[in-house]
Amino acid sequence: MDKISDFILRAEKIDRRWIFLIIGLAVLLPLFFPLGLPIRATIATQKVYDAIEALEDNSKVLVSFEYGPSTKPEIHPMAIGLLKHLFTNGHKVYVTCLWPDGLFMADEALTEVAEEEFNLTYGEDYVILGFRPGNEAVVKGMVSNIRKLFTTDVRGTLVDDIPLMKNINKVADFDFIFSASAGYPGTIEWVQYASDPTGVPLSTGTTSIMVNDIMPMVNSGQVQGILAGMPGAAEYEALIGSPGIGTSGMDAQSIAHLVIVLFIIFGNIAYFIEVQRSKKY
Amino acid sequence: MLKDKEFWLLAGGLSLAFILYWFVGYPLFKEERLVMFLVITIMTANLIYYIRYARKGGDIFLRSIPGLKAVEEAVGRSTEMGKSVLYVPGIMDMDQVETVAGVIILGHVSKMTSRYETSLNVPVSRSIVMKAAREIVREAYTMEGRPDLFQDDMVHYLTDDQFAYAAGVNGIMVREKPAACLYMGKFYAESLLLAETGNSIGAIQIAGTASQSQIPFFVTACDYTLIGEEFFAASAYLSQTPELMGSLKGQDMMKAGVIATILFSLLMRILFDLGLIKWNIISILTVQ
Amino acid sequence: MLWKRQIPILIATVVGLSTLFGWFIDHPTIESFIDDDATQWYDILASFAIFLGALNLMKLQGKKVLKQKSGWQYSLFAIGGFFFAIVAGFIYKGNDAVEWGVHVTSKGTLFKWMFEYMFTPLSATMFALLAFFVASASYRAFRVRNLEATLLLVSGIIIMIGRVPLGSSISSWFIMYLLILIASIVVNIKFKDKKITFGTLLAGVLIVTIWGSILGWPLDQPGLFYLPVLQDWIYNNPNVAGARAIMIGIGLGIFATSIRYIIGLEKSYIGE
Repeated sequence: MDKISDFILRAEKIDRRWIFLIIGLAVLLPLFFPLGLPIRATIATQKVYDAIEALEDNSKVLVSFEYGPSTKPEIHPMAIGLLKHLFTNGHKVYVTCLWPDGLFMADEALTEVAEEEFNLTYGEDYVILGFRPGNEAVVKGMVSNIRKLFTTDVRGTLVDDIPLMKNINKVADFDFIFSASAGYPGTIEWVQYASDPTGVPLSTGTTSIMVNDIMPMVNSGQVQGILAGMPGAAEYEALIGSPGIGTSGMDAQSIAHLVIVLFIIFGNIAYFIEVQRSKKY
Repeated sequence: MLKDKEFWLLAGGLSLAFILYWFVGYPLFKEERLVMFLVITIMTANLIYYIRYARKGGDIFLRSIPGLKAVEEAVGRSTEMGKSVLYVPGIMDMDQVETVAGVIILGHVSKMTSRYETSLNVPVSRSIVMKAAREIVREAYTMEGRPDLFQDDMVHYLTDDQFAYAAGVNGIMVREKPAACLYMGKFYAESLLLAETGNSIGAIQIAGTASQSQIPFFVTACDYTLIGEEFFAASAYLSQTPELMGSLKGQDMMKAGVIATILFSLLMRILFDLGLIKWNIISILTVQ
Repeated sequence: MLWKRQIPILIATVVGLSTLFGWFIDHPTIESFIDDDATQWYDILASFAIFLGALNLMKLQGKKVLKQKSGWQYSLFAIGGFFFAIVAGFIYKGNDAVEWGVHVTSKGTLFKWMFEYMFTPLSATMFALLAFFVASASYRAFRVRNLEATLLLVSGIIIMIGRVPLGSSISSWFIMYLLILIASIVVNIKFKDKKITFGTLLAGVLIVTIWGSILGWPLDQPGLFYLPVLQDWIYNNPNVAGARAIMIGIGLGIFATSIRYIIGLEKSYIGE
């Protein structure tokens, strides 16, 4: 028994690079050998889905991209899933970016979904207004007058010449807002400066870390549900019946979480032995 | 500072002016925002009252914050080891109050480093923060009578990009191995990257942030963490100036007011839901 | 002194007061100033301030290379990267078919290539490091030191497992058996009596088995022991309650600091 205890105590002081290696393998292996674990939607994800389903045909939806390549694995799958859902239900999509790199993400997502999968027409079914610097000032500006802020779209076309922009002058002209957000500026700014003052309903998809910040707003009804990190994306993919990157990443995340939990338990066993020994001596 | 009589005359005059303005039909005023206006006015008045109270020498108790006591200890440790102090004022610009609080605390930390003749390294991620931080460090060194120790490059710019900044700061940590790492400001996902790297080099680490979602990471990886309000109170605690101490007391009074409002609203809402009153308090409290 | 002290304080007070109280004024000019102009002015000024930062960066890195300080080779990458980005953004498009400005997101341009094949992998790598750091930090720090730490640990585990599909596959009956096992260990540590320990274990196993047989072993029943339901509850109740309290405290802190700014008591921005 003492030998086992000694081994556990020695293992507790293991070089952290071994932990990195094990986590690396825990993430990598399930990507090559998928387990196909079943995905069950949480209430927060279901609320997002229901909010989109409740929209009338041809609704005008403003989708804001506020993430970059670093958080792409978490948020891009939910942006793809959301766009698929919106286009399947026949809604019109208006894209804006509060982050400069969000523009690249938006371009990639719309090329994949709108152009390649749904064969939709730019300017008639969807439009990318692009990025404007100014953080919350952009949101405020859009609430008062979009045309003052965006005179052209991302392709250089005058906003007045885009058929989809007819009768769109401010945020209140939209039926729904979705913020795909990885930080500041993002969901909180959309709630504070756009959704709350205008009453336009808003849903969001964020990184897992950010969920804590947004959850009080979901509970108070200011935000219509939240897609929380990659699990949120996978759950949304399951709800719309279109498994994608989110779903395929779930096995890896499940195993990685399990490994971390095992590490914690192991660390606590070592701690327990240490405490017992110190009491003994 | 205004004398008591002048202060109350001014406050009374302003209140009377608003009442008169209200009775003449409040032209150009957004009526639906009246509650918000009153709340802001009362809260501001409360702050000013307590700042005056502190200035007049009123007694204000400040509980000790272990994280702040540890700041001096951390600088002392760096001095003993002959290593530098690394100070990270967050990744946001000066329009974020957390950054302002971080820069204020930097002023106090730089006073300590100048006193102990310890080298200070402040990498920043925004140009305006660089300017403000540089000014405040220069001022601290001058006030301590050591302008000769101050160099512009103590506060230097790395990049605006979140993860490139984290990589830059981590690089500094690994190469220079500072004995103390202080993280005070607004942080996002880079918080754990910084704190874990700091931990791996064995530095004493103190963090302060109001970024709710990053607090757990700092608590896990740092020796001390100033959580939310503690972080804002830090500058008052370190400087002990009456303005800041008074505003802290005012903040506590506001909190008591918020708690009372929550309890009162809960009661009113229950009565409304039970049909005992016809007045829904939520409609008043919801900001338009 | 006037330009470095009084004027900046005056600007902060005037703009601060007009932005704060302008929110209550129903006038298009004032509304437009507050909603658009004031904040955009700040952003325009802040955008120009980037030159300050960029020059400082180049100065420091250049010094490092010229004086061949330790690690000067890394500085070459910083300087090279800086000029490469300027070339890709302002000098060489790489695809003459697209206009300047649009070239940033257009296929076949140098800027797009730089974004896709340099910036994206580098950023993703830094973010991915979090997975490893979370593992090592939680391994080191999550210890059952006292009641609070134990509660934190248990809720952390429930959320980590309950949040992912693996949690949905774990039957609530398995969790119940696990709890009985843990309870028996606790009983054993407390009483150090094999009979009591065995009795607790047997009674628990019997109760759960009979209960399960009656209900037909549904995966997610009783919900109290089903991890996804539990994690939902933790997220939506204790977590949100704590988050709200912290949020209110932070809000008041922000309010007090802002007012100190506006009335000129806080002068850190001018170095005081």
